[in-house]
Amino acid sequence: MLHSKRRQKMKNIKKIYSTTLVFLILGFAGCMDLSETIYSELSKDNFYNNKLEVMQGVLRPFTHMQAWLAPTGQNGYYYHGEMAADQVAWPQKGRHGYDGGDHIRLHNHEWTIDENRMRGAWSLMWEGLGYVNAILEDVEGLDIEKAGMTEEERQQIIAEIKVMRAYHYLRIMDMWGNVPIITTVGKPLNPPTAPRSEVFEFVRAELEENVSMLEPLSQELVGRVSKASGYAMLSELYLNAEVWTGTPMWDKSIEYADKVINGEGGSLTGAMALDQDILGPFKNNNENSPENIFQFAFSRKGGFSFGWGGFYVGYGNTSKIWDVTYSGNNAFVVIPSAFDAYKENDLRKKEWFLFGPQFEYQTDKPIIATEEYVGQPLVYVNSIRRNSEGATGEGSMVEGEENSGARFNKYRSGTKEDPNYQENDYIIYRLTELYFNKAEALMRKNGGQATAEVVSLINQSKKRAFSEADWADEAYTPGTLTLDELLAERGREFVFEGKRRTDLIRFGEFTTGTWWDHEPDGDPNKTLFPIPSIQINSNPNLVQNPGY
Amino acid sequence: MKKVILLHVLAMSKRILYIFLIQCLSMSLLFASNGSAQIKPIDKVQIDLKLSNSFVEDAFSKIETQTGYSFVYTNKELKNLPMVNINSNSSLYDILVDFSKQTGLQFKQINKNIHVRKVDDLRPQTPVSIVENPQETVSGVVVDQTNLPLPGVSVLEKGTTNGTITDLDGKFTLNVESEESVLILSFIGMETQELTVGVRRMLEITLKDDTKSLDEVVVIGYGTQKRREITSSVSKVDEKSFNQGGVRSPIDLIQGKVAGLSITRPNGNNPNSGTAIQMRGVTPLTGNLSPLIVIDGIPGGSLDLLQQNDIASFEVLKDGSAAAIYGTRGNNGVILITTKKGTAGEARFDYSNYFSTDVVAMRPNNLSATQFRGLIDQGLISSNNDLGADTDLYEELLNKENLSQYHTLAASGGTINSNYRASFYLNDAEGIAKENSRRQYGARINFNQKGINGRLQMSSNLAVNLNKANLLGGGGGDFEQAVQRNPTAPIRNPDGTFVETEAFNNYNPLSRLQNRINERNQQTISGDIRLTFEILEGLNIGAFGARQQNGFNDRQYRSLKDFEQRPNSSYQGTGYARKYNELSWTDILESTVNFKRIVGDHSFDVLGGYSYQYSTFENFAVDNSGFTTDSFLDWNLGSGSAINNTQLPRPGMSSFKEDNTLIALFGRVSYTYKEKIFAQAIFRREGSSKFGDNNKWGNFPAASVGWDLSKEGFLNNTKVDNLKVRLGFGVTGNQGIPNYQSLVTLSTGGVYPQNKVFYQTYGPSRNPNPDLKWEKKQEWNLGFDFSFYKSRLSGSLDIYNRETVDLLNGYTAQQPPFVRSSIYTNVGGIRNRGVELMLSGIAVQRDDFNYSITFTGNVQNNTISDLSNDFYATDFLEYGFLPSPGNLGAAIRVTEGGKVGNFYGKEFSRFDESGKWLFKKADGTEGYAGDMKPEDLKILGNGVPKYMASLSNSIQYKNWDLTVFFRGKFGFKILNTQDLYFGNQAWLPNNLLESAITKNADLKDNPQYSDYYLENGSFLKLDNVTVGYSFNFMGKTIKNLRLYATGRNLLTMTGYSGLDPELQDTGFTTGIDDRGFYPRTNTYTVGLNVTF
Repeated sequence: MLHSKRRQKMKNIKKIYSTTLVFLILGFAGCMDLSETIYSELSKDNFYNNKLEVMQGVLRPFTHMQAWLAPTGQNGYYYHGEMAADQVAWPQKGRHGYDGGDHIRLHNHEWTIDENRMRGAWSLMWEGLGYVNAILEDVEGLDIEKAGMTEEERQQIIAEIKVMRAYHYLRIMDMWGNVPIITTVGKPLNPPTAPRSEVFEFVRAELEENVSMLEPLSQELVGRVSKASGYAMLSELYLNAEVWTGTPMWDKSIEYADKVINGEGGSLTGAMALDQDILGPFKNNNENSPENIFQFAFSRKGGFSFGWGGFYVGYGNTSKIWDVTYSGNNAFVVIPSAFDAYKENDLRKKEWFLFGPQFEYQTDKPIIATEEYVGQPLVYVNSIRRNSEGATGEGSMVEGEENSGARFNKYRSGTKEDPNYQENDYIIYRLTELYFNKAEALMRKNGGQATAEVVSLINQSKKRAFSEADWADEAYTPGTLTLDELLAERGREFVFEGKRRTDLIRFGEFTTGTWWDHEPDGDPNKTLFPIPSIQINSNPNLVQNPGY
Repeated sequence: MKKVILLHVLAMSKRILYIFLIQCLSMSLLFASNGSAQIKPIDKVQIDLKLSNSFVEDAFSKIETQTGYSFVYTNKELKNLPMVNINSNSSLYDILVDFSKQTGLQFKQINKNIHVRKVDDLRPQTPVSIVENPQETVSGVVVDQTNLPLPGVSVLEKGTTNGTITDLDGKFTLNVESEESVLILSFIGMETQELTVGVRRMLEITLKDDTKSLDEVVVIGYGTQKRREITSSVSKVDEKSFNQGGVRSPIDLIQGKVAGLSITRPNGNNPNSGTAIQMRGVTPLTGNLSPLIVIDGIPGGSLDLLQQNDIASFEVLKDGSAAAIYGTRGNNGVILITTKKGTAGEARFDYSNYFSTDVVAMRPNNLSATQFRGLIDQGLISSNNDLGADTDLYEELLNKENLSQYHTLAASGGTINSNYRASFYLNDAEGIAKENSRRQYGARINFNQKGINGRLQMSSNLAVNLNKANLLGGGGGDFEQAVQRNPTAPIRNPDGTFVETEAFNNYNPLSRLQNRINERNQQTISGDIRLTFEILEGLNIGAFGARQQNGFNDRQYRSLKDFEQRPNSSYQGTGYARKYNELSWTDILESTVNFKRIVGDHSFDVLGGYSYQYSTFENFAVDNSGFTTDSFLDWNLGSGSAINNTQLPRPGMSSFKEDNTLIALFGRVSYTYKEKIFAQAIFRREGSSKFGDNNKWGNFPAASVGWDLSKEGFLNNTKVDNLKVRLGFGVTGNQGIPNYQSLVTLSTGGVYPQNKVFYQTYGPSRNPNPDLKWEKKQEWNLGFDFSFYKSRLSGSLDIYNRETVDLLNGYTAQQPPFVRSSIYTNVGGIRNRGVELMLSGIAVQRDDFNYSITFTGNVQNNTISDLSNDFYATDFLEYGFLPSPGNLGAAIRVTEGGKVGNFYGKEFSRFDESGKWLFKKADGTEGYAGDMKPEDLKILGNGVPKYMASLSNSIQYKNWDLTVFFRGKFGFKILNTQDLYFGNQAWLPNNLLESAITKNADLKDNPQYSDYYLENGSFLKLDNVTVGYSFNFMGKTIKNLRLYATGRNLLTMTGYSGLDPELQDTGFTTGIDDRGFYPRTNTYTVGLNVTF
């Protein structure tokens, strides 16, 4: 009797326990789900439903590219190319602009493997390449039926993406030379370094295979890669082939320059031609300039305007010079020797630079300085030295003042009342460059001697910068157009266009030339930047460039 | 869609589950309730009862339901009883006689209760008796140690539910069964006392304070332990030890009270600034550095919902062996906050208030107009910098008439089985700066109830805080202007408009204060309910549900007259308005099973539980400009013309939402042997939605042991009252990274045209890391608790060594092949070591004079043990980037094997003849700034205090009390960036600090970062002096009245030349005195507490 009682009691307790257990398990089972809900981002599974959406992915690399390619204030390709070259500098101006010595080291070619800004450039440019690879993967795996597209459309888009990838590699190769060749996202880990010649070959093959599939340039293609821009890339690639691979390929450079010049790649205006207005390619309606080939399509109305203020505009007091609403950091100035490279009668000197006393837009009311010359009129001078302290001589990178150096005025936004205010596109290639490419290639084939054809090509460009009266004295002849002169003229024509370092390297001047405060160290390894140490640390298969 | 349905199902199943639980419990309640039946003798009550082979308990409960009587017995009485068979329709008396025959139980009816006893012989002589009037009436008075009567003390006859509560005068009267009856007297914060009634009919009982006793109850998360049983490092600070006077944040109440817990207010006494909290040095590289705050069981509780008068105690779980029960979020320690509850007894009101004012203690020493003109006379700047006026802008920014006030009224009371407390408050806090205030009001309501013979307990809280903050003033920028603005510049032009000076980074802060609005309206609420049911003796199940919700609406407006909106700006003279709303909420559901059992000398306490927490965050922002009138302010956003006028900055709009989930299973076993050996083991398995599919779940084990040496013979007859040694090890985690880091998603990338139409573009949002896993901290803690000389000297000592591994951080990604520049991954480790000491001594202990001293102190050392993993390595991480102008780079660098907080840079050598900087180079030579190479840079000092200490003196003399509290941090360097930028003549024509023409007069060069600006930061503050007087009211209406006056931050002893050496010393950016010049103040407070 007692026995069974106990048993029953045990049973009862068990019942209670098991009820509790069931109760708890119920609780657990319902709520062990740890999946995340995405609200403010997109899942690939429910995107790419039509061509518009696919193109929204295809164009992502462009919105990123402007950050490192255009002078928009970031530490990318543009910053490093120009700061290491002989036309523009960011000197210390009193208490401003020391910035840890970053710009000084670039100017002196004393950069280290730990440069923060170079780390930024590496990161920005490879991020761009990553966007290209990401969308390429997505388009290659695209359900075209779901997206309502044809296979032909897909193949054309793939060509467009591959040309973009080649362009990224062109610029990466220009900076660092020997880098991994990566065509997928996130894999392989620890990709190995490929020598520059292999990178070159990869770029060459990708361009040659895909450019022909691109559409010709037209107004519909503003801001995108077209046949014309692909040809321009090829012309640039072959022009630099001797530097990048050791083998000159002048004929190929000429071949592709000709394709552009002849309009085989299309045109924005129906016929490819030099813009006779020297400000034309840079105006706030420059998508209508007949010579523009490849541009980053900025638009204030569209929601994203080209902001060169960070690098090229003074503090708030200078906005009134153009009657605009933006201002900048008073950062980049023109190196005195670069400004002196223009003759006084060169219209480009007058139109593309700010110099001398500054006034409020279309008035004679002076702009007032705020730093060394606080309270006094602002006058930009062609020297970088402590004039306020009575300094004389050449000055230096640490001796700038608020008014040191001539300033950038090549792109102009229009006044804030202008209907096209800040609609300027950033120009990556324009026809004039192909003229120069072809001229240079012809000259080099000809033992460095100019021919009539060469002179004609360069004079067509140069003529725009002089009055009819002056032209007779300024026109080149086969005798006056030497290779040195070609480099100088190329500098004058493409000042501020982010190409100077590449040109100096090709002409052998980058590590041997002297300009203003810069003394050459003759180290040929300086033609490549070092791979940032943080990347070397994280990828054991990366090989540092020689000399670092 | 699938996911949404799943979520619904999930939510439903939880709901059903809890409804089910509540149903079960309320059913039981129904059965247990006895209505209001007339009390009849049991022989007059007829019942119909048929039972066969039934448990006695079941029979009792059937009778209880039918009749309304309650059986009173202890479980021991009913052990080993035979099953009973009843088939009767007769009086209850007869049934009980029958019962007695079968079981040998004896029954005695006293009023509604039927007392059950077991007698040895099977046939008791008087099996059933009826006592209409209980035999013994006992009465008494309960007082505390100071002989003040204690109202509300619960008086319970042991083994029964017979009980009462003392009245206002501490008196009670209770009828008990016999002289052998035992009374249990209990009161929160007092030691529980038991005594046998005996022959006395008038008892005088003194209850002793329980706070320092080893039986003090300490909250340890999902439960409590007695102080003596604690085996890990847990500090408790209760109300009596709180910092006094008005506090800006409730956490300030324990500033300096817990060794190893660093609490700093980097922005002075600004009512809208936060508090930086850190335990035992920095652990994570990313995420929240603060300990997990748990308010009445709600993890992640909002401090905004707490008022100083509502808090009963703080319990700080310092080491891993204690914090592991909160696994994932325990890396930074856990602070458990318990709010006050109502107590049984007569209803009482507590009203408290204070009024306080801030007075500037220290302001920056910038040049006056006269001194500035002196520089013009010296030719250092041109005479056109003399703008004719004599302005002290700093003074103009002060709100000297600032008065903060605080009122709170709490009503509380209850019975033995239920109690409540409701408090309401109003707080109007004004800062020392103009347009710098916070007004808040709210309530906290707590209700607790027991039922079913005390087996079911419910406790619930509802708290709400509504506050309105004026964020416009008090910003560091305004005070920076006050330092650097030309002191000869007038504030206004003769026509009343504001004067804007044109020098670098200048604006007129008074114009800003006049022409702008920046306000926040915030609402924070939380509600929780906890149900605990005792299934069997010692076996409890509990369920806890809580929601905390926080939302705010920001409004900003800039008038047409504001300088930023001026006609020449991009706003072209129009107004600007912005709205920003944020809403976040967290749902928590937890269930626990708890089992306690004592078997001989062994005592066990076993806890098991499940926890589910779902959090979501959302916001949206809209802004517009082009307002041609100030009439609307921000109340008619659509009227701004920027919508259609593309010449104006584009109107902005954005919205965002994210969520995350944490799920855990946890258990804890506590074991005690003879109250001498203690052990505890914890295991928590927790999953977080934030991690990769492969690593969502982490395990967090912990174990600790304690040995009370004073229980051993060899310590008898010594001065040692208590000596316990503890050793613990625990693993905790960190998940403080952004959501979605393991997922591949696309996000917006800016607009780009397709055939000239600008569309949004989309690209990869991040580098996903599906292998992302928990950051884990392993911590050893060795501790000693001791008390000597009859507890005149007591304290504890803790030594810890902890290593955090798999540090989560956004590290530089391998590019290529990754797309984005950083990737969240687990790399490296940090080691923290330290010693913490708490000593408490009673210097004088007499009837009318008591003097006690408490010291807390700690030593800490934080080093980076590792910065690499299999596929990632870095040489250093940088912090503390110095701002414009100059952008002098990072001030702080952590390296593998290096200490946290090392200043890294150039070593100052001297100024050359022309006042240029010369620094020491690695090769022993000197060089100018431009000559310094990376190899010339070195460690210059460390910004993390090595030692922290506080000393609290507490004196009571008759009705007076006095607290004097010192607090200090020692052994660290401060980078004085104020001196760096403003103590330099290169800053001209902006105004300077006086040091530019005194200490730094030789310097004629632009700012450079070097050890020249590092100063010894050690300081000692007289942090709090409070004098109070308590009146001896024994009247009926006012029971207690105390008046007090407090001074806070009264005196700072330091060699540091800047405003305040107390800086942010948490995280990785430490020891940098930035350019915010918010004034440091002395705060004076008077207040009263009254109970009626």
